[in-house]
Parts: sequence; structure tokens; C-alpha cells
Amino acid sequence: MINELHARAEGLIAKERVEGISAAEQDWLGQHLRECAQCAESANATQLALRSLRALSIPLPRELAARTQFRVRLRAQELQAREPRWRLVWAMCGASWVAGAATAPYVWRGLEWIGHRAGLPDLVWKMGFGVWWALPAIVAAGILLMEGGERSARRGVGGTA
Amino acid sequence: MANDKKILVEGLRRRDPDVLDRLIEQYQYRLFRYLLYITGNHERAEDFFQETWIRVLKRGHQYDGKFKFEAWLFTIARNLVIDWQRQKKAVSLDSMTDPEEGKGFEIADEKAESPLHLFLQAESQERVQASLEQLPVAYREVLLLRFQEEMQLDEIAKIQATPISTVKSRLYRGLDALKGLLAGGAA
Repeated sequence: MINELHARAEGLIAKERVEGISAAEQDWLGQHLRECAQCAESANATQLALRSLRALSIPLPRELAARTQFRVRLRAQELQAREPRWRLVWAMCGASWVAGAATAPYVWRGLEWIGHRAGLPDLVWKMGFGVWWALPAIVAAGILLMEGGERSARRGVGGTA
Repeated sequence: MANDKKILVEGLRRRDPDVLDRLIEQYQYRLFRYLLYITGNHERAEDFFQETWIRVLKRGHQYDGKFKFEAWLFTIARNLVIDWQRQKKAVSLDSMTDPEEGKGFEIADEKAESPLHLFLQAESQERVQASLEQLPVAYREVLLLRFQEEMQLDEIAKIQATPISTVKSRLYRGLDALKGLLAGGAA
């Protein structure tokens, strides 16, 4: 029974710091700590551990903020310079999709006509239509891949670890 | 306060260098300390510090101000460290989550001040540092976030992408272990 009380007190000492305890639990714990030197010592040890942890200071590397600010500014300039190029790519992709949607029936009929004239199987000219439809996405994906490759190469030279 | 957050969100969205400069100044100590706790190495923490801010620059538009900025910042930093560990495979990814594989960390002995009245404090700090070195990374991380950063449990859970119950259990174990180590050192 007494062991259970100590265990409860130990549990509440930690719980108070980790997630908080109710007023009733606080009252019970306060009462118990006044009567039990062993648990009071444990509560003190917890408090001391946390106080020591909070008081711990870490030396900062010299000029860390300044060096980081410089690097971030450079990167910001780089990103800013690249932005108009990207806007143009997206605008062209958008325009291409719209034009593609508007002209799809005509292109379909045109490819069908060419396919029949050339004696191609239906599957071939239908696949041609698929490629034509997906062309803007393929071009955009190509640009993205090239951009990604460029970035990885740069990171390999000057990036983390 | 709400206005400050709005300015912050807007500044990050626009990649405003002045806003970023201010944030780097403001959070340099806390972010570096966090990175040091989870990487266990000064130079690596420094590299990740810079990379974290580069990522903040790039992904600033993703911060919507719903959570504290520091929670978002620490999540970015933590993900960078995890990505690096995945790539390197030198240190098991589990060392961030499995206390059995936690590694010690080094804190350079670069105390600039040495007045006599700080001697005892410094001695005590060394003892805490030594105790922390012995703690698994996962425990060190939650102890830092809860008791030094004073974050709420749900914020820590978000940073670590784990359930609150896991955060609590790590906190209980970490606190218990730290208490034991400090008491052992004092004896």
C-alpha cells in the first residue's frame, strides 16, 4: 500500500512537468511530499534536472547568422532571376493546352485523314494524336527534369554534407 | 501579434530578404541548439542551419501561420537531417526514433567568459552536457522541445510526426534518464 503511494507520487512528479496535473492531484502530491522525505527528494531531483537543462547554454559558431544571411540573399537573388523564365514556361504551357483543347476535333480528323491516306493502322495515328495532346506536358516535364538535374549538381558541389 | 504573423507570412511568401535576415537573427540560437541536439555534431549542425534557412526561403510560401513559426522551422530542420541520414545511411534512421541506437553528441569547449563566479555554473553545465551526451537522441530532442523551447505536446508531436502518446512516453523516459544520470554524477 505504501509502495503504491510512492509510485503514485513518482508518477505525478513527472506528469506535472510533462503534461500537467489536476488541482486535486496537486493537493494530494503536495500533502504526500510534506510527509515523505524520499519522494520530496525525488521531486527536488526532478526540479534540479530541469533547472540544469534550462540553464545549459551552447556556444554559437562565429558569424553564423551573418554567413547564413549572405548565403540566403544570394540564393534569393538566384531564385528571383529564374522566376520570369518559369512564368514564361507556365504561360506557354497554359496557352498550348487551351489551343490544344480548342483544335482537338480538327487535329483528330486531320490525323485520321493522313492515317488513311498513308494506309497506317488506326492505332498508329491515334497514338500520334495522344503524343500531340501530351506534347506540352512532355516539354514541361523535360524542363523540370533539366532544372532538377542542374540543382542536384549544384548541391553536390556546395551543399550540405 | 496577429499582424506580426501576417507580416511574417507575407514576407516569406514574397521571399523578402529583410524578413529572412530578421528571422535568422531571431532564431539562430534556438535552431542551432536544436540541430546540435539532434545531429550531435557542431559542424554538421552548422551546415544544416544554413540549409534549413535556404529551404525556408524556397518553401516560405507553404507557411500559413496556423502554427508557431518555430514549430514549422524545426520540422524543416528535422526533415533535412532525416533526408541526410537516409542518403548517407551511415547512421540508422532509427537513431532519431529508437533510443537504443542513440548517439552521443559533442559540444565544443568554447567558453568565452571565465569570471570566477561563473566557475561553479560552468562546472554544473559540463555535468549536464555529459549527461545529455549519454541520452539517446530521441530523448534529448523531446527534452529540448518541451523544457527549453517550452513547446506544447501537440506541437512536438507535429514536429516529430508521431502520436502525442509517443511524445509523452519519450518525455517520461528521457526525464527519468536525465534525472538518474545527474543524480549519479552528483553522487
